[in-house]
Amino acid sequence: MTNHWIDLKNSDVILIMGSNAAENHPISFRWIMKAKEDRGAKIISVDPRFTKTSSLSDIYAPLRPGTDIAFLGGIISYALTKERVNMEYVKEYTNASYLVNPKYGFNNGIFSGYNAGEKKYDTATWAYVLDDKGIPARDTSLKDPNCVYQLMKKHYERYTPEKIEAITGCPKDTFLKVAEMFTSTHKPDKVATIMYAMGITQHTVGTQNVRMFAIMQLLMGNMGMAGGGVNALRGESNVQGSTDAALLWHILPGYLPMILASKHPNFEAYVKATTPKTNDPMSINWWSNRSKYLVSLLKAWYGDAAKKENNFCFDWMPKAIKPSPHILLFEDMYEGKIKGTFFWGTNPVVGGPNANKEAKALERLDWLVAVDIWETDSSIFWKRPGVDPKQIKTEVFLLPAASSMEKEGSVSNSGRWAQWRYKATNPPGGAKADLDMFDMIFRAVRERYKKEGGKFPDPIVNSNWNFTPEGAHEADPHMVAKEINGYTTKDKKQIESFMVLKDDGSTACGNWIYAGSYTGSGNMMARRGTSDKTGLGMYHEWAWCWPVNRRIIYNRASVNRKGEPWDPKRPVVKWTGSAWKGDVVDGGPTAGPEKKNPFIMNAEGVGRLFAPTGLADGPFPEHYEPMESPAQNNLSTQKLNPAVKVLTSDMNKWGDVGRYPYMASSYRVVEHWQAGAMTRNLPWLTELVPNMFCEISPSLAAAKGIKNGDKVKIQSARGEIGAYALVTERVQPLKINGKMTEMVGMIWHFGHGCAATGDSCNQLTPGIGDPNTMIPEYKAFLVDIRKA
Amino acid sequence: MSDKAFLVDTTKCSGCRSCQVACKQWNENPGEKTEFFAGPELTNPKDLSAITWNHVKFFPLDRSNPEKPSWTIMHKKCYHCETPNCLRVCPEKAISKVDGFVVIDQDKCIGCGACVNECIYKVPGVAAVDYSAAYVPNPGVRANKWYERIQKGKSHKCHACTRNERTVPACAFACPTGALTYDHRLRVIRTAQERLVVVKKDFPKASIYGLKEFDGLRVITILKDAPEKFGLPINPTPINITKVEEINNLYSFFSLFTFGLPFLKRTAYKVARSMTVGDRGLS
Repeated sequence: MTNHWIDLKNSDVILIMGSNAAENHPISFRWIMKAKEDRGAKIISVDPRFTKTSSLSDIYAPLRPGTDIAFLGGIISYALTKERVNMEYVKEYTNASYLVNPKYGFNNGIFSGYNAGEKKYDTATWAYVLDDKGIPARDTSLKDPNCVYQLMKKHYERYTPEKIEAITGCPKDTFLKVAEMFTSTHKPDKVATIMYAMGITQHTVGTQNVRMFAIMQLLMGNMGMAGGGVNALRGESNVQGSTDAALLWHILPGYLPMILASKHPNFEAYVKATTPKTNDPMSINWWSNRSKYLVSLLKAWYGDAAKKENNFCFDWMPKAIKPSPHILLFEDMYEGKIKGTFFWGTNPVVGGPNANKEAKALERLDWLVAVDIWETDSSIFWKRPGVDPKQIKTEVFLLPAASSMEKEGSVSNSGRWAQWRYKATNPPGGAKADLDMFDMIFRAVRERYKKEGGKFPDPIVNSNWNFTPEGAHEADPHMVAKEINGYTTKDKKQIESFMVLKDDGSTACGNWIYAGSYTGSGNMMARRGTSDKTGLGMYHEWAWCWPVNRRIIYNRASVNRKGEPWDPKRPVVKWTGSAWKGDVVDGGPTAGPEKKNPFIMNAEGVGRLFAPTGLADGPFPEHYEPMESPAQNNLSTQKLNPAVKVLTSDMNKWGDVGRYPYMASSYRVVEHWQAGAMTRNLPWLTELVPNMFCEISPSLAAAKGIKNGDKVKIQSARGEIGAYALVTERVQPLKINGKMTEMVGMIWHFGHGCAATGDSCNQLTPGIGDPNTMIPEYKAFLVDIRKA
Repeated sequence: MSDKAFLVDTTKCSGCRSCQVACKQWNENPGEKTEFFAGPELTNPKDLSAITWNHVKFFPLDRSNPEKPSWTIMHKKCYHCETPNCLRVCPEKAISKVDGFVVIDQDKCIGCGACVNECIYKVPGVAAVDYSAAYVPNPGVRANKWYERIQKGKSHKCHACTRNERTVPACAFACPTGALTYDHRLRVIRTAQERLVVVKKDFPKASIYGLKEFDGLRVITILKDAPEKFGLPINPTPINITKVEEINNLYSFFSLFTFGLPFLKRTAYKVARSMTVGDRGLS
C-alpha cells in the first residue's frame, strides 16, 4: 500500500477491484464503513460475481475475468475526453508533457520494437526525447502529438463504452456510472483510493493491470493524498515483510535488483547498470544511492571479510543465470533438474498453478523438507489419490514449526507497518521457530564446510552469521532485527536512518528500507503510542513504518508547487517556506516543493503515465485476452499478451472454448487460509466451510441439471476435480460480444491432506504467467462442468 | 442490574462470521459436523443449537432492484427478551436474568425442552451429546464458577458472556466492521434510530427490530427491509401465563414422585403439559 489501512477512512470514493476485501481483509471494512458514515464515501465494487464486498458497496459492476484493462482503459478515456483530470497535478507531477521518441508506435495490439521470434520488446523507441542538456523535452501545453498526454489520449480513445460492454460484459450504463463516480475525484479536494489484490495481479497482464491504477490515480491527482493511493492488499499477515526481505527471485532485500550473471559480471557492472542517472536538477533520483545500499548489505552479510579491495565480496554473491519464479522452478523440477527442495510454509500441491504437474514434479526430487505447523498436502504428495507410494523415490522430512503465537519477531502489514510481536507460549513438542531452524541448519552447514572444505567454502565460512547470544542455544530475533536496521561497522552503533548509509564500508545494513526500525533508542517496531497529531489516523508513534516512518509515500505530491495541500482539510504535509510539517516528507526534509519533483524513485521524478522503461510488455497497458478465453480480442487481432512465454513441456496443456465453454476463476473465503493447512484442521472453521465448492448461476445450473448442493465434476485441459455446487443469484452470466457466457467460480483452499479434504481448484488452473513477474494466471481460465 | 444491549446493523455486516467463531472459541464450544452448506448461501450450520450460540444467516440475494441487488447477512443469537417466554415457562425456574440477560442454570435444568418449544426465535437447544468430559481448560480463559460445559440433556444458549469474565462479549469484541456492537440499551436504541435515517437512503424499507417485542429485546437489529422478510415476527403474542401456571402447578405435584431423576422429571413435565393444553401451543 502507498497508504495504509486506517487511511481508508479519509477517502471519498473507494474503488475495490480484483479484491473481495470484505471477505479476505475484513478489518479494511472497519475503516471503509467509517469513511462511509463520517464522510459519505461511495464504494465501488467491480467483480465477476456479487461478493460480500459488493453487498456493502454503492455500485456493483460485473466484469468478465481478465478484462480489467478494457474496463479501466475506458475510465481513462472518459477522464481524458471529459477533461475530468487534475490538470495542474498532471502537468507538474506526471510525465504527461514529456515528448516521446517519434519512432514510438502502436499498431494492432503491438508496440514498436517487438521481436516476434523472442516475444520480446526492444524499448529504445519508447524513450523520451532529450533536450541539449540531456533532460527530457516537454510541451507543457500538452498539445504536441508526441507528448505522453496526446499519445495516451490516442491509445485509449479506442476503449469506447460500447466496446467495454462487449468485452467485459459490464452494461454500458453501469460502466458510465463507475467512470463518473471515480473521476469525480479529479477535483483537488476529492480523493479516491484503489484497493486491489490477486484478482488484479494473477493474470498474463497482471503488472499492467496495476499500472492502470497508477495512471488513473496520477490523472486524478490522488497519489500522495490522505485517502488516496494505490493499495495492494497483501494476502498474508507478513507477505509485505517477506517481499521487503526479498523472498522473491528477482530482488535482493530492499528492492535492489537481483544480480544477473549475464548483465552484472562484477561490482562496477552491477552498480552501473542498476543506478539510474538524470541530468534534471528537479529530480531527487533516490536510486542514485544504490551503491550505498548494496555495499551496506554486503557488509551486513560478509562482515569484516567485505573490504573495499575485494569489492565488499560482491563476487561471493550468488548470481541468477536465468529467471526462477515459481512456475519455472517447477518446470525445472518436473524435468528432473532440481534434486532437493525446502517447502517453508508453502503448499504448492494445493496452491501452485497446474497443481497436478507440481505434484508430479515433486516425485522427481531426491529429497523434500517440508516445514509447517501441520502435515500439509504437499508433504504427503506421495500418498495423494491415484499414486502408489512405493513408486515414489523422494525422501520427505517434515519439520514441525512454531506458529505465529509461539515465536517473537516483526510482522509487516500491507500498510508497511512493521509491528513487533511477542511469544505468547512455547511451541509444542520439538516444534521450533523458523529462525531457530534456519540458524541450526546454517551453522551445521558452516561447520561442515569448515571441516571438509568443499568447492567454494568462502562465502559460507566467512559469512557474518552470529545471531545466538553467548551461552544461549537459540537465535535471538532482536539480533536479526538489529542487523536489518544497520549499524556503523567501526563502533557498532545502531544507525538512525538510511540517510547515513555509505558505500565505503563504514556502515552495514541488512535492508536499507528498514533502517530506523531498531535504532540506538531501541526497537521502534515495539512502540505502542496512540497519539495521532495529524488527526488522519497516521499514528506515527505506533510501531514503525518503512521508509523512515513515512505513513503515506509520495506525500510530496499532496501539495502544489507552492507547498499548499491540494485539500487543506486533509493535509498530509505542508511546506512552510523553510520546512515541512506533517508526515515524514518524501525525499529529504530540506528541498522545497518548487525545487524538487515528488516521485523520487523515478529518475525523472514525476509519475509515469507512460513507462519508457521497466516493463516487458509495453509503455501503456493494453487489453489482451487471457491464455484461455471465451472471446476474441475486440481491440486488436493480438489475442494473448505478446510478451508472454508459453511453456511447452508435456503437462502444460491449454483448452479452448469449444471443449471448455465456461469462464472460470478462483478465490478465497474468509473461513480458510490460503492452501488450507492452517484452517482445514480447525473444527470451528470447517463447520462453516467444510467442503470444496464452486459457485454457478441458476441459469447454468438449470442448463446442466444441477441443483444447489449437488456434487459436480469440473474439468479443464489440465485435470478434473469434484466439488459441491452452490447455485446462487450472486453469479450471473455475462453478455460477451452479444453472447451470454457463464462462469464457474471456485475456492482453492482444499487438498487431500489435513482434516477436511477435497480437490484443489489449482488442479485446473494454467501454468502461465505475466511476462514481468511470472505470477500465474489463476484468475481466468476455461472449464466444463457436469453433474457428478 | 446492567442496562446493556447489542446492536446488530445488517447494513454493515460483511458476513465474516468472526462472531460465530469467537463465541465458540471463548466458550470452548465444539464445531458442528457439517456437509456443504446447511442453509441458504454460505449459512452453516442451519441454525442456533445447544453448541452454536451465535449464528450468521445468509439470505438469498434479492435482485428485485436490478440496479442495486441487496444481500442480507444477519447475526443471530438469543435476543434476551425483557419478558422471555423461556424464563416464564421453565418448570424448574432454571432460567433467570443475570445483569439483564437471560441465562440458563444447567444445574437446575432437567432438559424438558419447554424453553426450546416456547422460544419463537428458536434459540435454546437441549444438547444431544455430552462434551463436558472432553473439556480442556484453556489457560487464556479465566472462567468463573458459572463457566458452562455442554452437558447432554441440558439446555444451552447464549448468556451474553455473563458467565465468563469479559467486559465486552466475545462476539461484539470480534466484529471488525462495527456491525455488532455492545452498549447501554438506551444508547443502542438512539444509535439505531439515527442510523435508520441514514440507511433509509439506500434501503427505503429499512426497519429496526426489537424495540417492543417481549417488552423489548436486548439485541436490537437494523434490517434492510421489513422484519418479516428475515423471519422476525412483529409484536408476537407472549405465552399465556395462566396456562403456564396450570402446567407448572400440575408438574410440581407430579414431580413429588420423580425422586429428583431428570428423565422422570422430563416425563412428568410432558404429561402435565399434555394434560393441560394437549397439542396446542401456549400462546
